[in-house]
Parts: sequence; structure tokens; C-alpha cells
Amino acid sequence: MNHISELHLDALTEIFSIGAGRAALSLSEIVGDEVRISVPSVQIINTEDINPASLSLTCDGRFGAVSQRFSGPFTAEAVLLFTEEQALKIVSDMMDSKMSYEELAEFEHEAMCELGNIILNACLSSMADILKFTLESSLPCYTVASADKILKRLKKNPNQPYIMILHIDLAIEKRHTAGNLVFLLSTDSLSNLVIHIKQFLGNIHE
Amino acid sequence: MSEIGIKHFDMNDIFNTLSLGLIAVDSNGKVLLWNDWVAKHSNVKEADALNQKLEQAFSEAVSPAFLTALNNTLIYRLPVVLSTALHRTPLPLYNASETNQQQTRMYQSITITPIRSQLNEPCGLIQVTDSSTSIKREKMLRSHSEILKKEATTDCLTDICNRRFFDAHYELAVADAKRQKHCLSIFMVDIDFFKAYNDYYGHIAGDNVIRQVAEALKSQLSRATDIVARYGGEEFALVMPYLSQKVAEQFAEKLRSAVSNLAIPHIKSAPFHQITISIGVCTGIPENGDNLLDRADSALYRAKQKGRNQFISIPLCETEEYLKQ
Amino acid sequence: MLIRTHILAQRPHWIISEAACGEEAIALADTTLFDYCTMDINMPGIPGTDAAEQILANHPSIKIVIFSANIQETHQNRAHALASILVAKPVTEKSIALTLDYFENTQ
Repeated sequence: MNHISELHLDALTEIFSIGAGRAALSLSEIVGDEVRISVPSVQIINTEDINPASLSLTCDGRFGAVSQRFSGPFTAEAVLLFTEEQALKIVSDMMDSKMSYEELAEFEHEAMCELGNIILNACLSSMADILKFTLESSLPCYTVASADKILKRLKKNPNQPYIMILHIDLAIEKRHTAGNLVFLLSTDSLSNLVIHIKQFLGNIHE
Repeated sequence: MSEIGIKHFDMNDIFNTLSLGLIAVDSNGKVLLWNDWVAKHSNVKEADALNQKLEQAFSEAVSPAFLTALNNTLIYRLPVVLSTALHRTPLPLYNASETNQQQTRMYQSITITPIRSQLNEPCGLIQVTDSSTSIKREKMLRSHSEILKKEATTDCLTDICNRRFFDAHYELAVADAKRQKHCLSIFMVDIDFFKAYNDYYGHIAGDNVIRQVAEALKSQLSRATDIVARYGGEEFALVMPYLSQKVAEQFAEKLRSAVSNLAIPHIKSAPFHQITISIGVCTGIPENGDNLLDRADSALYRAKQKGRNQFISIPLCETEEYLKQ
Repeated sequence: MLIRTHILAQRPHWIISEAACGEEAIALADTTLFDYCTMDINMPGIPGTDAAEQILANHPSIKIVIFSANIQETHQNRAHALASILVAKPVTEKSIALTLDYFENTQ
């Protein structure tokens, strides 16, 4: 844990905000309106230390999670989390139709997959571009679950002791939504990530 | 694919038998694979599509969002999903109907995945599935459930609320009036000498009378809070909040005259020779145990006793003595 | 932080303050007299272009460099309309060199 510094985290924030800009561009093309996505902060913690607060999960309510597994110089599982209610609102905004939430639920699954896919791919591709490596990824998969279940799932895998959390701020038209993008990382993956960040930073040191 | 699989099948046969669209493009976006499904739904033959840039292979424009997604997959080697909900019909594909008069654009779900050719060149595989059927099914289920919902609460003869809806609404209206301490009026309405009418004029004519009376009663209502329901055979019930007893009486008279004005002949109705109604109405602020409906029903009974074609109005909290006057 | 580290590597004596968002940057510029400012467009709260415009309105002598990734056209046009330059992200030694050149060698 102590081999990742504030500067490294700042570089990651920088990389992911470029990704966020790309995602916003793709989304605005679909929505036909301005979309803003920003990544205010990136955090890396031990998986065992995650709690509902670190992911802004509330005990009540259900969450929509879009996940993709990717591999390359480092292997990780990326999960994008929104509350189910927010997820439905985002999708309904994006669909610009007058469908009720009940009707929307039918399309939610696939549309959320796409929304998550756009954000995840944008973050992954900006990382690949800037840190100069290539990644492969599975297709996205969408699940709805309680906070409890999500935490259990995140903590389940002993091979991924680190978790990188990106807080994401998404604004489509007038609606503001916050979500979290979570990367589950193995020790090796984190070390590799740090090596690539150091290369990116070049000659500057703290 | 295992050795055995390759021996047994020509892969092209398999691609062309699939009931989903398969298109493969190289890193420049040139078409390498165009299966029969795509040819059928795009009206572009495989031979005409191969080696064309994808956006030129189709006879019409491809959506910009699709091209962006394809480009991203080719550059970044990451898989992409295009959902029906957000894109509807990104590719110019049509529902092929044999009789084809008007072809409709197909709703599509698309995935684009990076693959490699046998020469290890980076390519993209586009898979298209037809989501029209699931959308149609969805729409059908939805309208079906709306019909069912309407059927469950509407009386099929008169098209006004049925008994089931009345019971539920009555309970809610009483609870509401109790909580907010406001007046509630229940009107019980019965068509006079209806059995005699039915016996003389027949059931079809009888049904017609029920329909006309229902219509006349309904036409008197104008507030969203008020309902009229068919309570039983020739009996109707109305629920109306916020009326004083005096206003409720005026309204009961309006109902009576509305039906009387229909002037439907009824020679077996001795005194009136036309269709008339009797009304019992009870008005008050319900408290625990009060039963507006029973009270309105006994008022209706009184109206029948007193000679029909009239209303009897009683307050909720009067004693039995009042009825005996 | 990243920009600070890069710049301090080149100009060790500069004094650098950082703001977390556009609103904070505007407030900061009102309390301290700055020579130069770098601004990200994509931030929580108001976009960097809006913040830059306000800072320039209050303090016309500040030189502002706007950092942008491939952002939407609306923003790109806004940034051009301001009398500042756009430097492509990511923040690297090269983009910092461009920034310093603009700060020190333009009128």
C-alpha cells in the first residue's frame, strides 16, 4: 500500500478525467445534449477496509452494477455502481421518451450495460493510451443487488486485495448523478499499474 | 472450434444458418464477413458488401453513434454494446415480410467485439439481434394488462364502475372522510318496477334501460372525486364527498329528474307509465362503526315504501326514530 | 498536484496554490494576486471555461492556460473565445513546457 503516493493518485485522477471526457463525448452523441462527467477523486484502499460509506452505498435501496473483466499488463474487474433509482433516471433521460419507470425497467438492463460500457471503456482506453499498454475486456454485464450483496461480492476474492475507487459525477441535461467506479486489483496488478504510472510521470519526483 | 467440429461442418454454412446478423470488418472498417441474415435484412448481397467500407456497404446511412462505437472497438480493442433502448435502429436493417408492402426498420441490439483473423490481424465482429419481437411482446403485454385492469374495474354492460371497484373506492372514501373529518354522501339508486319491465319488454330491452339509466346518472357527475357504480342488477350506487345534506338532496332530485326526463315508456309501472328511479341518500362525517351504505340502503327502502320515483335523505347520526316518522 | 509537481520541477521558486473546483478557484483568485493560472475544463461544479471567464473578468492581468482532453465542441469554442490557450491533456513534461512558454514568452 505504501508504494502508491499522492502524486500517483493524482496522475490516475488525471488519466481518468480524460477518460471521463471521452465518455461524456460519446454519451452526448447519443443523448444529443451536453453531458458532463468528472472524476473528482481516486482512492486505493485494501479490499477488507471497504465499507458502505467508501462506496456511498446506503443500507436500504438497491444498486445497479455494470461489470467488465479486463486483462493485459494488469488484470482487474471493473464495476460501475449507481443506485437503482438513479440508474433508471439516467436511462430515462437518455431515452428522451415518456416511458414510465415501470416500462423503462424492461429496457434498463441493456441500456445500463451500454452506459456502463461507455464509461468503463473510456476509462480503460484513456489508461491504455496514456500509460501505453493494451487491454482486453469482456462484454459488460449488469446486475441489480443490495448494498450488502455488492460488498460481499467485492470482498469475496482473496486474490484481489486492493480496490481502486473512482468517484464519478455525471450530469445529463439538468440531472446530476453520482456513482462510483471500482477496480478490483491483485497485488501484481497494482505493482504493474504503479510501474506504468512512474513511466508516465517521467523525470519528476516528489 | 475443435478439430471434430471443423471436419463436420463448413463454417460458412453455420454463419449463414444463424438467426442473427454477423459482420466482420478489418482494422480499416472493410467488410470481411456478411452472413445471409444480414444480406436478407439489408437487401444487400454478400458479394456487393465484401471489401466495401462498412458505411458504404449498406444502401442507406449508418448511425454516427454506431460508427463511433465501431471505431472505438477497432482502435482500443474493447468490446462495445449498443442497446435497443438508446439506439433503436442504428443499421439500415428491415423486418423482411414476404408479402412486403411497407418494410419497417428493425429494432436492434448490437455487440461489437475485437477479434483476430487467422493471420493475426486485428478485426471487429459485429453481432446484430432483432429486438423487434421482444419490444412487440412488451407492448402487447402492456396493452393487455391495461385492458385487464380496465376489465377488472368496469361493468361490461354499462361501462361504468363495477361492484368490485365500488367496494374498494367506498372503503377508501370512508377512510379519507374519517381522517379529514369531512362529509361523505352515499346514494343508493334502484330502477322502479324493473322486474315487471323485464318480464313484459324482455331482457334485451331491460339491459337497454339499465344502460340508459347508467348513462343518465353518469352525466350528472362532473367532479373527479365522484363515482357512480353498478351495484347489483338494477341497482346503482354513488359516492360523493364534501356535500352538505341539503346539497345532497338537491343532487338526488337532479338524478331523479334526469332519469324521468329519459321518458322511457313502461306500461307496467302503474302510477308513472315510464321508467323512474327511487333514491336513498345518507350524508355525514363517518366515525368508527358508522355504516353509510346500510343507512343509504334503508333510506332507499323508505323511498320505495313511500311510493317510488322519489328520494329519501337521512343524516348519518340520526336515530331510528327519524325513519319511523 | 500533478501540474504543481511538474512546474516545480522546472520553476522551483514559484509559489503554487491549488483549488479543488471552479468555484474555489474564483474565490482563491480574489484573495491572492496571481500571475498565472492553469485550469481544467472537466471538474465537478461549474466547468473550467466558466471559471476562467470569471477570473479574467475580475483580474484581467492573469494569464490562463486551459487544459483539455477531447472535450465537447461547446466547451472548445468557449475556450477559444477566451483570450487563453488550450493545451492538450494529459499533463506531461511536454504540455507543461507549452504552458510555461505561454506564461513567460507572450505579451
